[in-house]
Amino acid sequence: MAERVNVLGAAVFVFGLGLWELLVRTGLLTFTYLPPPSEVAVGLGELLGNGELGTALGHTLFAALTGWAVAGLVGVAAGSVLGLVRPVWTYSMASLEALRALPIVAFVPVAVLLFGFSVQTEIMVAFYAALWPILLNTINGMRTEGRLVETGRVLKLSRAAVLWKIQLPAATATIVVGLRLGLSTSLVLTLVAEMVGNPAGLGFLLVTKGQALQPGQMFAAVFVIGVTGIILNGLVMGAARLAFRGQLASAGEA
Amino acid sequence: MISCDDLSVTLPGANGPVNILSGVHLRVAKGEFVSVLGTSGSGKTTLLRVLGGLQSATGGRITCDGVDIAGPPDGVVTVFQDYAHSLLPWRTVRRNVALGIEKLDKTERDSRVDEALAMVGLSERDGEYPWRLSGGMQQRVQIARALAMRPRVLLMDEPFGALDAMTKASLQDQLQQVAELTGTTVVFVTHDVEEAVYLSDRLVVLSGSPANIGLSLDVPLPRPRDQIATKERADYLELRHEVYAALGHKVGERASG
Repeated sequence: MAERVNVLGAAVFVFGLGLWELLVRTGLLTFTYLPPPSEVAVGLGELLGNGELGTALGHTLFAALTGWAVAGLVGVAAGSVLGLVRPVWTYSMASLEALRALPIVAFVPVAVLLFGFSVQTEIMVAFYAALWPILLNTINGMRTEGRLVETGRVLKLSRAAVLWKIQLPAATATIVVGLRLGLSTSLVLTLVAEMVGNPAGLGFLLVTKGQALQPGQMFAAVFVIGVTGIILNGLVMGAARLAFRGQLASAGEA
Repeated sequence: MISCDDLSVTLPGANGPVNILSGVHLRVAKGEFVSVLGTSGSGKTTLLRVLGGLQSATGGRITCDGVDIAGPPDGVVTVFQDYAHSLLPWRTVRRNVALGIEKLDKTERDSRVDEALAMVGLSERDGEYPWRLSGGMQQRVQIARALAMRPRVLLMDEPFGALDAMTKASLQDQLQQVAELTGTTVVFVTHDVEEAVYLSDRLVVLSGSPANIGLSLDVPLPRPRDQIATKERADYLELRHEVYAALGHKVGERASG
C-alpha cells in the first residue's frame, strides 16, 4: 500500500513557487501586499518562534475536532436509525431536506447569537457542519443491498447479527467518506466562526495579520491551514484503513 | 422431507396483484435431487423462495419434515444465482464461508470451513477476497458457505446460470459429487434443460399462468454421471426431448443440441 511519491506533480509545485518568487521579485506582479514565498517562509518562522501559531492551531484543532467527533457519534447513530427504520425516515425526510438545503455559513451568526463569542460557538458550528455529510452518507450506506440481508436470513443470523456483521460493515466505506467530508467542512466552518465570532484560533490569526498589514505572516497562516486539512484527511484515511481494511479494499479505497 | 400442497402465491405487481403460482403440489424425498424447470418468468424462483422461507405463500401448506415453513427453516440453505451480491466483499473467502457458523467454537468452525472449502476445491484460496476470484470460484465460495452449515436441504436458484459452459460443467460435476457424498437433498431451479436432466433424480416443469407443475419426470440415468458418456446415452436424449416438448419446443426447431 506504499504510496509512490508523485515526482512530476511535486516538480510542478516547486516550479510554481519559483515562478511566484520570480514574478514578485522582478516587479512583474505589483500588488502592494503580495509577498514572495521566501517572505512567507520568514513569516512562518516568526509565527512559530513567538508561539502564536502553536496556540492558534491548537485552539482551532480542538474546536474543529471536538465538533467533528460529536457529529461522528450523533451522525452515525441517527443515520443508522434513519437508514434502517422506514417510518422514521418517512417522518423526518422533509425536515432533513429543508435543513440541509440551508447553507451552513448562515448558521454561524445564529450560533454566535446563541452561544456568544466563545469556543462553544465554534464547536457547535463545527458539529453542525460535519453532521450533514456524516448523517447523509450513513443513511445511504445503511440501505444495504437486499440480497446481502437475505443472505443473512438464509444463514440463520439473528437480526442483531445481520446488523452487526452485514449492514454496518457494508456501510463502512460510505460512512468513512462522510467522516472525511465532515472533517474538512468542520475545519472550514470553525475558521469562519473564528473570523466572525470567537476571536481566537487560526481564523482570527489570519484576519488580524491581514489587518496588521503583515502579509508574510498572513500567507503563512493560510499555508498552515491548507497543510492541516491535508494531514487531518490523511490521518482519518490511515486510521480507517487500519481499522476496516477489508471494507475499504472492497470499495476500492485502500 | 419437503412437501407443498395446493400452494399458491400472489405477489403485488405494477397493475395490481399477480397470481404467480396456483395449485402446486410437490414432494421432495430425503436425499433426492429435484430440478425445477420453466421458462423465465414462470415462477421457478418464487417457488424456491417459498420453500426457503424467504417468501410467504398466499395459500396452501408447505412443510419441511412435517413442520410448517415460516421463515428460513433450520437445515435448509438457499444458494443464489448472483454470487457477487451474496458474498460479503470485505470478508476473505474463509470468513465468508464461516459467516453462518460463527456461533460454533473455533476448532469446530475451522474444521467445518476447511471441509467445505475442500469439497469445492478452494482450500488454497481461503485468504483471498472474493472479488479477486473468477465468477465460478465465487459461486463455489457461496456453495461452500452453504455446505459449512451442514444443510439437509440445499435450495439452488439457477446457481450456474451466469457462468460459462466449461465452468458450468465442472461445477455441475462437483455439485453432483458433494450431494452424493453428503446425502444432501437438492432442489435445483434452472432454465437449462440439459443441466436439469444431467443432474436430477427427478425434474418438474412449471408451466401455465398462474404456473403449476405441468410435467414431473423421473430421471433413471445411472450414477455417477459423466458429461460425455451420460449425454451420449439414448435414454438421456429421449428424456431431453420429452422435456423440450413439455416446454413447448417442436422437434427440429433447434438446429442442434
